Amino acid sequence: MRLRKTGSILSLLASLTLLFPAPAGAADNTITFGAAISITGKTAKEGEYTRDGYQIALDKINEMGGIRAGGKTWKVAMKVYDDESKSERTAQLIEKLINEDKVNLILGPYGSAPSGTAAPICEKYKVPMIEANGSAESIFSKGYKYTFAVLSPAKLYLRGLIDLVKAKDPTAKTVAILGENEPFSKEVAQGAAEYAKEKGFDVVYHELYPTGTQDVSSLLTNIKGKNPHVVLGSGHLQDSLIIVKQAKDLGVSPRAMGFSVGPSSPEFRENLKGNADFIYGATQWTPALKYEGTDPWKTPQAFATAFQAKHPDYKVIPYQVAESAAAVWAFAKAIEKAGSIDGPKVRDAIAALDIMTFYGQVKFDSRGVNIYKPMAIEQLQPDGKKYTVWPEKVAEKAALYPMPPWDKR
Amino acid sequence: MAFAELSQVFVNALLLTGILALVAVGFSLVWGIMNIVNLAHGAFIVLGAYLTYALHEWMGVDPFLTIPLSMAALFLLGYGIQRLLINQIIRAPLLATFLLTFGLEILLVNLLNFFFKADLRSVTTPYSGSGFSIGPARVPYIRLAALLISLFLVLALGAFLRRTRTGRAIRATGMDIDAARLTGVKVAKIYAVTFAIGAAMAGAAGSLLSLSVPFDPTAGSSYTQRAFVVCVLGGLGNVVNVIIGATIFAFVEVFVGSRLPSLAQAITFALLVLLLIWRPQGIAGKSV
Amino acid sequence: MRPRILRALGLALGLAALLLLPRFVSSYKLLTYTRLLLLAVMAQGWNFLGGYTGYASFGNVAYFGMGAYTTGLLMIGRWHVPFFPALLSGAILSAAFAALLGLPILRLKGHYFAIATLGVAEALRQVADTWDSVTAGSTGIDLPLKTEGEFFYYTALGLVVLGIGLTFALARSKVGFAWVAIREDQDAARMVGIATTRYKVLAYALSAAFAALAGGVTAYQNIHVAPGDFFRIDYTLESIIAVVIGGPGTVLGPLLGAGIYQLLSTYVWSHFLELHPTVLGTLIIFFVVFLPRGLVPLFRAARSLRQSGERFRWRSLFANVRAHRVT
Repeated sequence: MRLRKTGSILSLLASLTLLFPAPAGAADNTITFGAAISITGKTAKEGEYTRDGYQIALDKINEMGGIRAGGKTWKVAMKVYDDESKSERTAQLIEKLINEDKVNLILGPYGSAPSGTAAPICEKYKVPMIEANGSAESIFSKGYKYTFAVLSPAKLYLRGLIDLVKAKDPTAKTVAILGENEPFSKEVAQGAAEYAKEKGFDVVYHELYPTGTQDVSSLLTNIKGKNPHVVLGSGHLQDSLIIVKQAKDLGVSPRAMGFSVGPSSPEFRENLKGNADFIYGATQWTPALKYEGTDPWKTPQAFATAFQAKHPDYKVIPYQVAESAAAVWAFAKAIEKAGSIDGPKVRDAIAALDIMTFYGQVKFDSRGVNIYKPMAIEQLQPDGKKYTVWPEKVAEKAALYPMPPWDKR
Repeated sequence: MAFAELSQVFVNALLLTGILALVAVGFSLVWGIMNIVNLAHGAFIVLGAYLTYALHEWMGVDPFLTIPLSMAALFLLGYGIQRLLINQIIRAPLLATFLLTFGLEILLVNLLNFFFKADLRSVTTPYSGSGFSIGPARVPYIRLAALLISLFLVLALGAFLRRTRTGRAIRATGMDIDAARLTGVKVAKIYAVTFAIGAAMAGAAGSLLSLSVPFDPTAGSSYTQRAFVVCVLGGLGNVVNVIIGATIFAFVEVFVGSRLPSLAQAITFALLVLLLIWRPQGIAGKSV
Repeated sequence: MRPRILRALGLALGLAALLLLPRFVSSYKLLTYTRLLLLAVMAQGWNFLGGYTGYASFGNVAYFGMGAYTTGLLMIGRWHVPFFPALLSGAILSAAFAALLGLPILRLKGHYFAIATLGVAEALRQVADTWDSVTAGSTGIDLPLKTEGEFFYYTALGLVVLGIGLTFALARSKVGFAWVAIREDQDAARMVGIATTRYKVLAYALSAAFAALAGGVTAYQNIHVAPGDFFRIDYTLESIIAVVIGGPGTVLGPLLGAGIYQLLSTYVWSHFLELHPTVLGTLIIFFVVFLPRGLVPLFRAARSLRQSGERFRWRSLFANVRAHRVT
């Protein structure tokens, strides 16, 4: 009796599997990009941004007729696997993409650790990878020739905020930094600490907490005792949310509070509501920046509008989407220049690339890092919106400084 | 450590104790009565959190009022899982149930990921973040309420197990299954009720946690681990043991965390291992 | 006599096929099979302790990570130790550490032992995470680049064969009998004069050594070792799953279970982009419900039925299910 029941569940599941046919292989006038992105696991959300960013650029290229290279017009397509947010899985997926699915080029995973795992495999097969979401410099110190990153390196993330505070308030002297103990956030924290000292601040607190920490009240209690003027957090979205929530719980009220990752994503305000006000966030890109590119979208605003039209569920466009789309566009330009989809030739074309896009300048140094595009700082303000407030010359609005104490707002 | 800081750390630890006890009590019950290490316990907690989130966000129900609802829903789910699946293999070697709950965990987490997406969620109310001060220490209302509700639920479960007919049947089954069967206890049903209560407690813990910690579908596994540790610290067999285990864990974690955050878990676990070597049955557990 | 010759022939053929495999498959497939074999090595290690003596460790990944770091640090350190000596050092160090640690923690029983091992793994992970001067903290260390897939495949295959040989020999020796006696009833075993502690420590040290070997090879193939990747509890869980699928306390169970789990999960994730964990979870649940004791015991049951002249029917399988049900 019970067995019959379980049998029927089994057949139901079997029929479910028919709903997901395997995608067809690539035709010979199609360039297939391979990507191993987090769909499940810890970075699934960021993986979704990455995937949507790649996809909108690929769709745009196809809409415009494809890539013309070597006297041929190529359509573009993408083959995706889920890396489950585990970087050791990435190696296997990149091998499969290159080796079995015969993809032509690789679009990077989300995160520094998987990008680091993917790089040597791309090197082995001489398949270039442009990655849009791994900015720890440790990836690029190993002399890989086939790995490029369109985004600014980790150490620069929080510099703008230190400059901003310096400009607004010469009396601000002390900085507390708390960061997640993982390669990217560690580099962000180090970069911020070095820069703050360079600018004459006193770093009164600099601690790393383990990945997955769900309670930072002990760290914040410690910080409260030091009463710093600036609190900087380098971690991921979850960490930023916990820090803000518990900072309010414990009454930690610095003059400025900012994060490397978190405030730029729409979930930040959704989760914190009004408590998100006055918080700063580092960002690789915002729709408010004033770039004039040669790509199909040309300006950040136009890209944002086009993306929003396709994905109305995004209330804010996270920068991961833009940098991912920029990576695809960089590939398209390099393929055009190379006149071929042959790995080494495309690689040389990428290395020589210097284009202006809606995302900013895309140009790589000898390590493959795009050091030519600056970072920006955004602030969430009480009118419920988010404004680019730094660098000063592209700012939409002045920063609201200082942040009022929690009990007076 | 300055007095102000010390008192705040003390309050933090105290507030963590209640919720940890609630996180662990269902896990402890299922483990103690049926010898099942339920790896899906954390997934149940997250499910409770999502239920509160959905009811609050989409229907405007106050998060505290959703607790009975998420308990009821998890109770039914737990009952079904035990009846249909775990009861089938409960007499197989221990690792079989372990593997089954592992399968259950990845399935539940993935379904949550599929339907709710991977977005981080949290439940924010107008009273979120407000609180009062005792001397130099801040006490947020929500976490205080969570402490009180947790303690109430844990103690209520203890009373239920001691005073009611069903509760006594559960404890009898846990002590000696054959003797219980002889006195007319329907073991399959009692097992299902036990697992269901464990799941309901997890649901309540999830509802309360959603108010103070942001969560996504993968948030559960760390709670399973903590529940595991709390049970071992306190020892099985009694809800008071769970509270003792939770208190020790919370205080060690918070105090170590305020001094050496990057080594907090290492030190907590090292203390745990030492403690186990010293008292293999847990601090409160009776040595056999 | 004849079945034994047949079995030996079968094993030889199987081994020959495994030796020739790299000539016929893509390097992706080779990597997948290498991962499979390394999982089997870890599962074999777990089986010594968990399968034979009944002590379920939840922290074998501690030794996986320790092996990975020892191998890596020796290779890149001042002495540039070659790979195999470095790998062996990792295994010896891990076994020694486990033996020392085992003396106190093997006194714990059941879940208490499990949680202690889990604690050790977590503590080691954080040590690797924070000990910047030696392990480079969460940034991790980089090993010399080696990309020949065959090298790793044959290394892993060699370790699996070593594991099978060792399990086979030990299971039939005094050691194996002592282990099983401990599993069935530790007090009785002690009473008939078995030095239980010594045998348990031996099993634990062996299990640590095998985990370390798997870790060292994985490290070299991965070229980057970081705490977040090499102390992940998933490695422990997967090795337990492999043993439970194959059959705990059997010689071939770990390899069989690792093979099934690895191939199944690879198939599932390459065909279901979003819902692969749901499919895998469902398959695991059904597997346990129908085969709670694993595959090897099922084959044994089938063989003994055949020897007594009966046919193996589905009914026998369901009888197996019914035996474990509570009503």
